Amino acid sequence: MSLDNLSSNWSKLRTRRPQPDQYQEAPYKWAMVIDLDACTGCNACTTACYAENNLPVVGKERFSKGQAMHWLRIERYWGEGTESTQEFPEQGAQFLPMMCQQCEAAPCEIVCPVGATHHTPDGLNSQVYNRCIGSRYCSANCPYKVRYFNWFNYPESAWPSPLELQLNPDVTVRSKGVMEKCTFCVQRLTEAKSRARTEKRLVKDGEVLTACAQACPTSAIHFGNLADSSSAVAKMWKAQQVELSADKQKKDEEREKDEALGKTDEALRGYRILEDLRTYPSVVYLERIRSSEA
Amino acid sequence: MIEAHEEKDVAIEQRFEPKAKDIDDEISWAQINVDVLRSLERPRPLYWIIFFASLALFMWGGYCEVYQYNTGLGVADLDNPQVWGLYIATFIFWIGMSHSGTLLSAILLIMHADWRKPIYRFAEAMTTFSLMTAGLFVLVHLGRVWQFYYVVAYPSERWAWPNFSSPLVWDATAIGSYLTTSVIFLFFGMIPDLAICRDNATGFRRTFYRVLSMGWRGTDRQWSNFRVTYLTLACLLIPLAVSVHSIVATDFAVSQQPGWHTTSFPPYFVAGALYSGCAAIITLFIVLRYTFRFEHYMTIPILEKLCKLTFAISMVWTYLNLIEYAAVWYGTDPVAKQTLIFRATGTYAGWWWAMNILGSVVPFTLTWKRLRTNIPIMLVVSLLLNLGMWIERFMIVTPTFAHGYYPWTWTQGWWPNWVQVGIILGSFGWFNMLFMLFCKIFPSVSMYEVKEMVYHRREARKSLSSMRPSTDP
Amino acid sequence: MKKKSYILALFADFHEATKTLAALRESSIPGFRMRDVTLKSPIDHPECAEELGSRPVYIQIFSLLGAVLGSSLIFLGISSAQANFLRQPRGFFPIVPIPPNMVITYELFILGSVFFTITACLIMWRIHRVKTNLYDVQISLDKIGILVEAEPQAIARLREIFTLHHALEISESD
Repeated sequence: MSLDNLSSNWSKLRTRRPQPDQYQEAPYKWAMVIDLDACTGCNACTTACYAENNLPVVGKERFSKGQAMHWLRIERYWGEGTESTQEFPEQGAQFLPMMCQQCEAAPCEIVCPVGATHHTPDGLNSQVYNRCIGSRYCSANCPYKVRYFNWFNYPESAWPSPLELQLNPDVTVRSKGVMEKCTFCVQRLTEAKSRARTEKRLVKDGEVLTACAQACPTSAIHFGNLADSSSAVAKMWKAQQVELSADKQKKDEEREKDEALGKTDEALRGYRILEDLRTYPSVVYLERIRSSEA
Repeated sequence: MIEAHEEKDVAIEQRFEPKAKDIDDEISWAQINVDVLRSLERPRPLYWIIFFASLALFMWGGYCEVYQYNTGLGVADLDNPQVWGLYIATFIFWIGMSHSGTLLSAILLIMHADWRKPIYRFAEAMTTFSLMTAGLFVLVHLGRVWQFYYVVAYPSERWAWPNFSSPLVWDATAIGSYLTTSVIFLFFGMIPDLAICRDNATGFRRTFYRVLSMGWRGTDRQWSNFRVTYLTLACLLIPLAVSVHSIVATDFAVSQQPGWHTTSFPPYFVAGALYSGCAAIITLFIVLRYTFRFEHYMTIPILEKLCKLTFAISMVWTYLNLIEYAAVWYGTDPVAKQTLIFRATGTYAGWWWAMNILGSVVPFTLTWKRLRTNIPIMLVVSLLLNLGMWIERFMIVTPTFAHGYYPWTWTQGWWPNWVQVGIILGSFGWFNMLFMLFCKIFPSVSMYEVKEMVYHRREARKSLSSMRPSTDP
Repeated sequence: MKKKSYILALFADFHEATKTLAALRESSIPGFRMRDVTLKSPIDHPECAEELGSRPVYIQIFSLLGAVLGSSLIFLGISSAQANFLRQPRGFFPIVPIPPNMVITYELFILGSVFFTITACLIMWRIHRVKTNLYDVQISLDKIGILVEAEPQAIARLREIFTLHHALEISESD
């Protein structure tokens, strides 16, 4: 326990995150943009996530009790209090794919008693399964409730033979009592980074995709490296004028003034969910502009 | 003329009722020893019936826990977002109940309120056993119970220590410190009494008490060191007790969830803790008074003082409760306001209203002397107050999960199931067993303190009467 | 070191005991010192014990020492662990956050003080223990005892003083 280290690095040890331009010199900061206008609610992304990350299918009874394990969930919203007059009342829902937002100031990271969750250098919120003792404080503190707990011991029942052959060998199969969540397919990222490192280069834009981004038929999910200013995701964030380490974007302040004057800019439709809780999420959602009947 | 004056004085004196004394100061010290040591004798059959009933309850809770341990926490009907359920609520309840022992032993000691002397011993025991019961819940609610030791900072090859910014680690530290200090305080304060037990015991019990009484001979040096140590421990225990429940409150207060993110939570929790603890002391007071025939020591005037103290604390709790609602109602967070409205009108509305009525309206029975001095009514009232406080803990935990920031996660109909209820009943059985064992092994009334109380009151009365002008002509 | 004997006298109440102690102090019997007189009682009575002279209590110095040691060691311990062990960056908090560390420091400040206080008390009892088994169970009941360690020739004179002040029982031992 070196006190010299403590005293010489004191200022670095006391810096809070996130800092503006935190990822200026960093090679990677993984982020997403999800276009809600393009999302049809087909659930291909959810299914791909189940396959890629060894998620157990819990069955109808447990799903209705709220014990589902879907890391990426498609939420359906119909305007508040609106009655549908259409032939199929469920028509006209707005779909929102919600997964772990990999918050820069994640409320889950600071409350884990044993330190099973923290922030990686490439901007992901990591979950360490073998450190987790299952206190579920991280889930209690998550405003999006995107953390899922293993309520039962799924390895013994979810993949009866020969279904265990479908499991992805790159991903741990979790036992009961641990917390899990979307990792932006960190196993794919690690493999891509390691391949790039042997070739002495950085991961190119589009070289690695998460399972959900890969499976989406309408290309609603865009995944990339925010630290690489030439990547598609970085360009979209810039076009939508969303900054990673700001809790209130400048364009929102101006938008309030514009809306008072009657002006709206439909092109600037990017936002982050629950941004005013200052979680600094890494996922930008592009607001839906097509009408409900479509 | 002079005679008429004397008659009027006599008439006034006959109308004047002397105030009921906290304790009859004519009780001899020998009598105190006899009365209290009698409680340590072989127990009657009723004791065994209640003990085995508590054991049965504990074993039922143990069965539920073993089922949950083996199958997974899903059997308790917990889900996303209702991840905490009754375990955390009851954990807070037990920690809360532990604060009253400290209130009686330490705070009233510093205030020189000597009416605490006959009753603080069992209250302090209640503190210790409540903390032990709360510790059970910390384990029960974990997903991987067998790795609970990760929360402790032990030498680890992986160079991974617990996360000190987590309120749960603060909990572990605070509750560990509080339990250790409480046990030390309880044991240390018992040493002169254990010496009395040693002097009156035979056989292996004599050896047992001799070891525990640490060579106590009642010498002046032992007493002076004892007095300073006891007072220092009391002064240290008070800030510790306040900090423990404040830290348990920060489990919620540091979270940004609506309904939790309030700075008034730490004092609110401490007030609730003192409240439920005082109610529990009244319950145990009545039970012990009847069981061990301690009517001369646990007197009605002392019960009255306890009731008044409980009423004062209930009003503090009511204020902090209402202030929390006011802060949310007039505040700027619309979601917190919605959560408050959900509490009052949603799925759990019945429980919320019950909590407010039991916590704020029922204590007014403590303001009427006729009700306050009625033992069966006080037993019922104290149990109702504690029920209200348990509901309060439930209402803190569950509605915020049911109505958080994210609309998709709102749930309407979550209720706990038999596994959760079973484990909670088991915890009451466990507490009861420990307390009953304590009452039969250690003196539940502090003999030396009661002797002091009786002595000082007798001396004060004698010196007062010697100062009064003589009525002899 | 001259061989010492012990004499224990039991009294019914504190008034008699106080007068006896005053008498002992004013007497000039050779062979015993006021320092070797011990008062034994079922309750604490500082006014009576004052007659024995000044016997200061040093417990609180240890309390302070324990508080300072406990708090400083734990703060440095936690902070260096956070800085030097597996560095775990977390959202919104720095690697070494002061408020959480202060919470734990506060708890250990109190716990350290408690441990040192108790240890000091037990040590003081051990240091000041009276090296005789002479004891009467009535002391834990309701009698007050005065134990004197004196040379054998002083014992008889002491016995006289005790009888003069209505001692209920007197016992001796070597």
